[in-house]
Amino acid sequence: MDQPKNKRYGMVIDLDKCTGCGACMVACMAENNIPFRDDDTDKLLSVSWMHVYRLSNGKPFPQAEECFLPRPCQHCEGEHGHSPCVSVCPATATDYDMHTGIVSQIYTRCFGCRYCMAACPYHVRQFNWWDPVWPEGMERALNPDVSVRMRGVVEKCSFCYSRYQTALNRAYVEGRRELAEEEYQTACAQACPAGAIVFGDLNNPRHRVHRIVQPDLAHGGRPRNPKAFRLLERLGTHPKVYYLTGRDWVRRAGDNEVQKS
Amino acid sequence: MEEPKSSAPSSRSEPGQGGQGDGAGGAIILFFILGLAASLLVGWVAFPALLYSEKRQPVDFNHALHNEIVDHGCASCHFFRADGGFSGAPKLAQCIECHREANSDDPEEIRFVEEYVKPGREVPWLVYARQPDCVFFSHAAHVRLGGIDCAVCHGPMGESTSLRPYQENRITGYSRDIWGWNIAGIKRNSWDRMKMDDCAECHAQARVPGGSVQTQKDGCFVCHK
Amino acid sequence: MKIDRRSFLAFVLGGAAGTALSPLPWKLTDDISIWTQNWPWTPVPPKGETTYVDSTCTLCPGGCGIRVRRVEDRVVKIEGRNDHPVNRGGICPLGAAGAQLLYSPWRVRQPLKKMDGRFVPVSWEQAIGEIAGVLRELREAGTPEAVAWIADTDRGTTAELCRRFLTVYGSPNFIRTPCAQDAWETALYLTQGQRATAGFDLERATFLLSLGSGLLEGWGTPPFVFRARGALKDNNGRFVQAEARLSKTAAKADQWLPILPGSEGTLAFGLIHVLLKEGRERKPFVAAHTAGLEELKRQALQEAFSPEAVAQATGLEAKAVVELARAFAAAERPLAVCGRGAGRVPGGLQETLAVHFLNALVGSVNVEGGVIAVPEPEYIRWPEPEMDAVASKGMQTPRVDGAGSERYPHARYLLNRLPEALLQGDRPAVRVLFVSGGNPFYSLAGGERTEKALARIPLIVSFSPFLDETAAAAHYILPAPTHLERWEDVPGAAGYPKPVVGLARPVVPPRFATMPTADVVLRLARRLGGPIRAAFPWESHEACLRQTLGPAWETLRRKGFAVEEGFKPQPFETASRKFEFANADLKRLAAFRPLPAPGDPGAFKLTLVPFDTLRLTAALGAPPFLVKALESEILLKNDIRVEIHPQTARDLGLADGADARITTPQGSARVKVYLTEGIRPGLVGMARGLGRGAHDRYLAGKGVSANRLLALVEDPSSGLEAGWGIRARLERA
Repeated sequence: MDQPKNKRYGMVIDLDKCTGCGACMVACMAENNIPFRDDDTDKLLSVSWMHVYRLSNGKPFPQAEECFLPRPCQHCEGEHGHSPCVSVCPATATDYDMHTGIVSQIYTRCFGCRYCMAACPYHVRQFNWWDPVWPEGMERALNPDVSVRMRGVVEKCSFCYSRYQTALNRAYVEGRRELAEEEYQTACAQACPAGAIVFGDLNNPRHRVHRIVQPDLAHGGRPRNPKAFRLLERLGTHPKVYYLTGRDWVRRAGDNEVQKS
Repeated sequence: MEEPKSSAPSSRSEPGQGGQGDGAGGAIILFFILGLAASLLVGWVAFPALLYSEKRQPVDFNHALHNEIVDHGCASCHFFRADGGFSGAPKLAQCIECHREANSDDPEEIRFVEEYVKPGREVPWLVYARQPDCVFFSHAAHVRLGGIDCAVCHGPMGESTSLRPYQENRITGYSRDIWGWNIAGIKRNSWDRMKMDDCAECHAQARVPGGSVQTQKDGCFVCHK
Repeated sequence: MKIDRRSFLAFVLGGAAGTALSPLPWKLTDDISIWTQNWPWTPVPPKGETTYVDSTCTLCPGGCGIRVRRVEDRVVKIEGRNDHPVNRGGICPLGAAGAQLLYSPWRVRQPLKKMDGRFVPVSWEQAIGEIAGVLRELREAGTPEAVAWIADTDRGTTAELCRRFLTVYGSPNFIRTPCAQDAWETALYLTQGQRATAGFDLERATFLLSLGSGLLEGWGTPPFVFRARGALKDNNGRFVQAEARLSKTAAKADQWLPILPGSEGTLAFGLIHVLLKEGRERKPFVAAHTAGLEELKRQALQEAFSPEAVAQATGLEAKAVVELARAFAAAERPLAVCGRGAGRVPGGLQETLAVHFLNALVGSVNVEGGVIAVPEPEYIRWPEPEMDAVASKGMQTPRVDGAGSERYPHARYLLNRLPEALLQGDRPAVRVLFVSGGNPFYSLAGGERTEKALARIPLIVSFSPFLDETAAAAHYILPAPTHLERWEDVPGAAGYPKPVVGLARPVVPPRFATMPTADVVLRLARRLGGPIRAAFPWESHEACLRQTLGPAWETLRRKGFAVEEGFKPQPFETASRKFEFANADLKRLAAFRPLPAPGDPGAFKLTLVPFDTLRLTAALGAPPFLVKALESEILLKNDIRVEIHPQTARDLGLADGADARITTPQGSARVKVYLTEGIRPGLVGMARGLGRGAHDRYLAGKGVSANRLLALVEDPSSGLEAGWGIRARLERA
């Protein structure tokens, strides 16, 4: 069986356009059956695949500046797909798929050791400390394309893989094997009212995400666009989520070096 | 069930004929065999009987009869929807296209019309091949892209004249078809079992290229959601 | 035969061997492992056919196009419509969480009547019959004007039916909840002679100056404004935010001017001062299309608006004011906007006029990239109803809120004046209050006094689909279906610069025994009979909608919206046919003067300024997803956090996260503090939308409501609500 050319799905988020409104978070919650609890204010315990962080330049009033940084799973490629979490999982519950570049998480396979959470430098993984419970009637809004996670497993952003699966299904039924750029979009990219999130195949020079980032695929996808950067680039995790900014301090914060400057 | 009875006289005669030690040895063997036989019975007969609960389908459907009448074989009732999904067991609306009234004096058809068509109640079909929630199975990929025949996974369902009982695993809630009807898990036909290993086996045979870094096989998300 | 230990052991051994040779252990291991992977109490959403239904969101005045994903008969996701001109695929967090409102267990499931302080279910027949009985008595007593109706919009068939009902019944007291458009509509009328709403061509402006507007925090139609902000960036435009706190809008601006709160109007006049003094107005436009410039010069060239004086008032440097004015004037398509926060407080009329004058001076009125007068839709053309003597007499009584009176001739609705009016006299002026949106029991400022005033009304009827604060305080709840279960025409999108009409449709059948508010009106009219009944010849709201829209109904049903793409603004309709900086009406207005925050600065050293966030709402409450998405800088456990500058914190001896008590002349509440460099020292920032007395358990009882700590402040030039803050005290708790 022949396989279409490998994809390398990735995302670029324009931090100068992002307004921190949270539509991406809510769209993600609705798409991916994210549970909620009476008190979700402890963000370390709150399950959220997409989280909008608030960054400050640390300067006093009135030079203070803020920036909002939406953080989905970075889908690190690492070296040959050995992303930090995939390398440590003892259960083969998380995996890197060379066909799509997406880091998967299989909840029924996960036994909740949380090694991957310790390994992930981006805090994208969350542990279900509690059974998910929906108030009476609200479980009707659950999306059947995404499994509901049980207590005791780790979960994270999947780049809305179920939307890839359903888009492929539709293409197959129509006798196609390849998807157009707009056929597979993550819920956050689709919802973003500011147009800050662009999603697509980094391998495809026609896709917007490729054109914006201009990734150097020979060197782990390093961006050639001088305004683009990745979080903690120096770790060599080669994430596939890129950020754009014209502000130097934001860029430095992205490498966690804001204190040094 | 007759075996223990027929062997009883010989075992009763043993203690009188042989010495103490021999008798004891015989008794040990006897009890060993007893234990063996009992546990084998439990394991092979009682356990499967206890493990599965049996339900009858709400309506006894004759696939063979319908297959003769319809124009497009299985796809007449089990088709792809525009959203790319597979319709699975037909909805009442489809049945009504032909069965607004009973077409014959078959009592089962009359009952179907009375109990479901007239009150507009969906038939709660029990799906033999239902996979758990963690599984993403694409009929489109297998049938349209892979060109696989329905029978490869579902067996000669289209030739059946009556619906067999549905058995549900009391522990997992799965249909018995997932493990297969052979309790030992032995499979003779491709459709005899529908566990993950069976999917993987076929994928390996068909040389579906694997993208997984961990296993060098398929990526996990190919079949999971 | 003797069964001894050895034979027992043999039996066990045989059993073990047999078990190992049977499938039991292997199958059981497999099954148990599967069981642990699929707990039966973890819900499994049923599969089915996925379909999409296009509709229009009615959760805010935005009117975005939505695409609702259904699986069989369940709504699972709401997305933005790519082909909708207003939001072009974008969606705000509230719209995206809309399915949680549909499936909220805190919906009102049938009509409820309050008896002995508790709600009991009643039939629709009984509820409508009893309310009609009270209405009949009031009419017989000759006081139909004692009925008032509060709605969150005055457009569309539902609102028009409610208003028509009041009219033929005999009450002029239809009140729309306050919003920034109140001031903008008046400004457009006074300067351009146009009865229109203000649209802002933000997408094509190249210099955007926002005087305290929370452009990215709910102002206008959020997805439209957000997209426009992106366009401004792509076009290398410039965006300047003048606001006391580093709001999300300020954080995303190219320049943040941290002005003193309440000085927005002064800054606008200061900019006009510089423009006129330096002769930087667009002379061709001003000469050809405006009148009364000399009067504006007299007004703006006063010493009080010189850069130095404005610097003093705003806390900026005089140089910054001059530079801002120059940059604004030099831009290709400059645009200034106002309306604080999410635009739910109208603000002072003179302040809005100043901003509008600023636009007129640079030619940004009714042109590309400017303020556009968007005419009110005209598809509702019902014949004038026949009025009987009671109705005619009732309609001639002055409005209870004073709108349209000699004192406030240009105001159309003044909900903020209702509480004081209710407190006058032995019997409250309003005997029956209908509330179809806006949730005034929560969203009106004024704390206990407002509550006390509203509680004087003997009969309150709420149409809320949810148990919100107003519903909880009402005597009857006649629940309307949610936005996903009913037909609704949606004329206009807040701040959108073109006429657009959307249609909301029932995406799923109503879940409960609800009734569209318009249908309740039709039923009440039928009960009351006579001319009231005759004014409503429609069988149902849906039938009324079909007939009213006429041929447009089919187009709307098919397409979901109708937009006038080639829309050109109408010429000015003033006497001079020009934009008037001065005229008799304008002259009669009370002169501009900055409104101070209420309270004694000696006793209350700080100033509390409320702010809006898209993760909370004013009226509707917030579905669980929004509460979950709320930042821990705003809500921590059950405590609201107020923003203060570290300097303020040091002065008060408060550390980050410390418990504190905030006190204003209106009330007092427990809060936690959050230290940030993003707020002016001396201010306390507080999010609006928490402190809910009703709603679901994910929202209710968390934090405190800023509205309870704030006072109603009346704009002397218009009577509109113009409160932006209040003096406050913060102490360690």
